[in-house]
Amino acid sequence: MLFNEWLKDDTKTILFDGGMGSEIIKRGLKPGKLPDLLNIEEPNVISSIHQAYYEAGSDMVQSNTFGSSYLNLKNHKLEERLEEINQKALEIIDSIRPIDHLIVGDIGPSGVFKPPIGNASIDKWQSSFKKQVEILTSGVDLWHVETISDIDEMRAAIRAIKEVSYKPIISSMTYKKTKRGFFTIMGDSLEKCIDIQINEGADVVGTNCTLGSNEMIDLMSEFKNLTDKPVSIKPNAGKPRLEGTRTIYDQTVQEFARDIIKIINLGAKIVGGCCGTTPQTIQEIKKKMD
Amino acid sequence: MSNEKLNGEILEAIVNLDKEKALELANRAIAEGLNLLEVVEHGFGAGIRKIGELWDEGEIFLPELMLGGNIMQEAMELLLPHLKEHSETFNRGTIVIATIEGDIHSIGKTIVGTMLSANGYNVHDLGADVPAEKIVDEAIKVNANIIGVSALLTTTMTGQKKVVDILKERNIRSKFKVILGGAPVSRKWVEECGADGYADSAVDAVKLVKEL
Repeated sequence: MLFNEWLKDDTKTILFDGGMGSEIIKRGLKPGKLPDLLNIEEPNVISSIHQAYYEAGSDMVQSNTFGSSYLNLKNHKLEERLEEINQKALEIIDSIRPIDHLIVGDIGPSGVFKPPIGNASIDKWQSSFKKQVEILTSGVDLWHVETISDIDEMRAAIRAIKEVSYKPIISSMTYKKTKRGFFTIMGDSLEKCIDIQINEGADVVGTNCTLGSNEMIDLMSEFKNLTDKPVSIKPNAGKPRLEGTRTIYDQTVQEFARDIIKIINLGAKIVGGCCGTTPQTIQEIKKKMD
Repeated sequence: MSNEKLNGEILEAIVNLDKEKALELANRAIAEGLNLLEVVEHGFGAGIRKIGELWDEGEIFLPELMLGGNIMQEAMELLLPHLKEHSETFNRGTIVIATIEGDIHSIGKTIVGTMLSANGYNVHDLGADVPAEKIVDEAIKVNANIIGVSALLTTTMTGQKKVVDILKERNIRSKFKVILGGAPVSRKWVEECGADGYADSAVDAVKLVKEL
């Protein structure tokens, strides 16, 4: 399988994709809707974004299914449409995927928390993720569980995938930087998260969202000190601000790409971008990588 | 026991998230006829402010923050009936708080709501993904002084301005203070919206509300 060959090839850095939400808005769609619903309502918009990433140089691109786990769809009163939304996402990305490029099944957070904040549990999370994985497994080459703040929710997602699929898993937690190092907002340290992710069977450990490219340089060094597993890094493009009705990210794509090269030199196996990054960002990284 | 000593113990119990101890101390303050307003302000209030600072500094995390807020609320339920004669002094104001329509990021808003109730405000948390019209309607219904609107996405931030616009349209802008929250919110955005203020953290949000 191509992904496993890439992992074994020491000369290969895998280029992932960038943000989805910001691209949707750029194409003139109104905010305020679950982006995954556009798989049904505006499939051409979603496929043009996937295509732009593949053309920019992404080796692999994720399905538009970040919010399509059962519990998160339920938050939007869309749980009845789980199969339709996930199925359609596969059709869209499959129709434009270039040869020798991969489709990554994207799985995001459920939007519900365990006590004392909410009433979720590992079992509830696992059964929610399983419903999504059962649909996606027919069309994806590998998995990316991302933007997770609770290591127990990550545990549940990996277990759900393992129940139905043998495909490789990239497992990305979201961290905050504190005086004492990197922690999830639930208080789990980087070290604890990596241990659990590996024990549960993740093939790649990583991080995405919240932190910008600059802060993720330090985070990458910490990863390298803690594990020999391949690492995936998808930072945000700095902090956004609104000018009139336009969203502005002050960090340039050149600055972002320079940071990514430093992250690669520190040993990252997979790199890409999260919120605020675009096909131009990926193109710039590609240029600097070559 | 003196107020001062008790307040010190209460602060410690809150920071240690020791609910049993905190509630026992609240009951003792009532039984011994201590100045309860002072107990609320310098005991429980000080404790919850400390919790907020520890969160901002990354020393504690979301579960501890929420637990601290819950202990504070339970203690307040014990103390409030005995504070009736001072209730006007104590109830600092009524706040309607929500994450705007299209945005389901509720953590920041929930933290701010918890900290505000812990600091003596009557908080009506409407949840996430709430239409601007509904926020205004609720504020009128509960006779709020302050409306807090959260947005994490630059795409939903426009809804924060909509709340202010609706208040203006209905000629009730002066009845409410409107405060904004969320990572992308800036002073410039507050000015553009015609809102009354914003805060970067839960601790700052409490300070802001007290200043309004």
